[in-house]
Amino acid sequence: MTAHEISEFLAPIRHEFADQRSLILPALRFAQEEQGWLPQEAMAAVAEATGYSQAYVESVASFYDRLYTEPVGRRVISVCTTLSCMLRGSDELLAHVAANIGTDGEGTSADGMFTLQRAECLGACDRAPCLQVDSGDQQGPLTHDDADAIIGALRADGAPTRYDR
Amino acid sequence: MPQLNSVYRHREFQDLLTLSGYERAGGWNGLKATLEMSPDDALYAFHRSGLRGRGGAGFPMGRKASFLPKDSGRPTYVVCNADESEPGTFKDREILDNNPFQLVEGVAIASYGVGCERAYIYVRGEYGHQWDVLLRAIAECRATGRLGPDAFGPGAPFDITLYRGAGAYICGEETALLESLEGKRGQPRLKPPYPAVAGLYDCPTLINNVETLAALPPIMHRGADWYAALGPEKSPGTKIFSVSGHVLKPGNYEIVMGETTLRDLIFDLAGGLRDGREFKACWPGGSSVPVLTAEHLDTPLDYESLAGAGSFLGSGGCIVMDDSGCIVRASWRLAHFYRHESCGKCTPCREGTGWLEKILGRMVHGEGRLEDLAMLESLFGRISGRTLCALADGAVAPVQSALELFRDDFERVIEQGGSPVPEPMGVINA
Ligand SMILES: Cc1cc2nc3c(=O)[nH]c(=O)nc-3n(C[C@H](O)[C@H](O)[C@H](O)COP(=O)(O)O)c2cc1C
Ligand code: SF4
Ligand code: FES
Repeated sequence: MTAHEISEFLAPIRHEFADQRSLILPALRFAQEEQGWLPQEAMAAVAEATGYSQAYVESVASFYDRLYTEPVGRRVISVCTTLSCMLRGSDELLAHVAANIGTDGEGTSADGMFTLQRAECLGACDRAPCLQVDSGDQQGPLTHDDADAIIGALRADGAPTRYDR
Repeated sequence: MPQLNSVYRHREFQDLLTLSGYERAGGWNGLKATLEMSPDDALYAFHRSGLRGRGGAGFPMGRKASFLPKDSGRPTYVVCNADESEPGTFKDREILDNNPFQLVEGVAIASYGVGCERAYIYVRGEYGHQWDVLLRAIAECRATGRLGPDAFGPGAPFDITLYRGAGAYICGEETALLESLEGKRGQPRLKPPYPAVAGLYDCPTLINNVETLAALPPIMHRGADWYAALGPEKSPGTKIFSVSGHVLKPGNYEIVMGETTLRDLIFDLAGGLRDGREFKACWPGGSSVPVLTAEHLDTPLDYESLAGAGSFLGSGGCIVMDDSGCIVRASWRLAHFYRHESCGKCTPCREGTGWLEKILGRMVHGEGRLEDLAMLESLFGRISGRTLCALADGAVAPVQSALELFRDDFERVIEQGGSPVPEPMGVINA
């Protein structure tokens, strides 16, 4: 993604912030939509579009769990394992998803299709055990068969055109 | 056991996702009533209603709004905290999913009171669907002039900017949220100064939780006295409790404060437990509060009563565990959460949460020693009250209380060489 594209995205919202530094996070989120993570070029483009140094932009990005500074799979599956979900079988769900996509716990599948991560409370404890694909709906309560069906559908879909993590 | 859907108007009316549907359900009457008052009278109404902050700390909303200086010569901001990440809490999500205009109206009401022309709603990054709902709601309000140059009357502008986080529990802490909104790493600031005096961009700022602000439209429509008369004097109004864990009907329940007990909430509204299981423990106000036992089940749900029972109302996220669960394993899982979410700025929190997780982890995995209990106890005082923000206190509270109330269980886990994985409850479609 180029600095120009990011600037165009920011143009209509610039006036909403008294300090332009506030644009960094929206710019990072937008830049991540292209590849699903933030390679160096994307960081450089955000820096150029916002007028802050690349080092500063990277230090902001590295603070947030859902901004990825390393490559991740085409789909990121977050299984919540915080207490309410643990009490309803989240650890077993995580292990089941890992076995399905062929990762040893958290990590990226060999084909680059999926990254599996443990998440902290997704604000959907009424749906425990639950998972979220990218930042899509919090889905649950899930049996292991439900999880297989979700993964199967994702495989069939392939890569999204735009990543919203 | 009165339930009253004052914030959850979507449970009473249909089609609240469109502005016209919301108007048919009486939407915008609260703002209309507010705009007929002076801003000072509006502030006084907030105060008289007795509404307290629903994000965790329970601070009186009207008092906080009155702390904002009027003569600073700088813009004033209202910031809505929609970062909802406290484990066990999912009440704001339901508002955002189903009743976004009531939040928009509440933000507008608060903004009129404190003289704010631009408010912000900070939404946790994981709430993708909720973000989309809000985007549509804001767009519809702008298109119809509910937001924009004449929102509060000819030449009286008001608008709302949505801002999206990117995955960090700590950004729910108000000063960390402001840092994040200013385009920085989301690390808490030293207080004072409080946000009321020096908040967003160093300007006077009112920060309130989603549920707090969404409570305002009915208050201003029906009158502060109506609200103040609901429930106990110091904890008036309705409160939404999110119930999760080992209950048959997990979900959100909006109740009148003080008129429902913890037992009613868990065993009646939330459907109680599976056959053959007994109640073991619950964390009534999110994971950052002291745990309670069966002895406390008759506690009424309001700020004072829950504090009297040794816990807190907190965010209202009530996590329930039956006797299939293990308190040591549960405490360890919570310790993991706080270790993971500590922003690392204060040594007692950064190191202390790591030690809590480590010591509890070795108990769970059969490598605990009885001396570990004394070690845990000595840690509590070295973490609590010694840090910039309340995350560290929230990490200690559930563990310290668990050790006080369930010491036998900790000793048994150590002696038996660990805590077996509990049998998960499985999916129940009640
Ligand atoms: C670690 C930590 C996390 C918090 N997370 C949230 C949150 O997700 N949502 C929220 O409304 N308040 C949260 N709070 C409380 C806020 O700091 C603040 O008190 C609240 O937003 C004020 O609004 P209220 O008075 O309407 O409750 C958190 C506090 C701490 C210490
Ligand atoms: S208490 Fe913990 S989370 Fe809060 S500022 Fe200190 S290190 Fe960060
Ligand atoms: S604990 Fe899993 S969504 Fe809250």
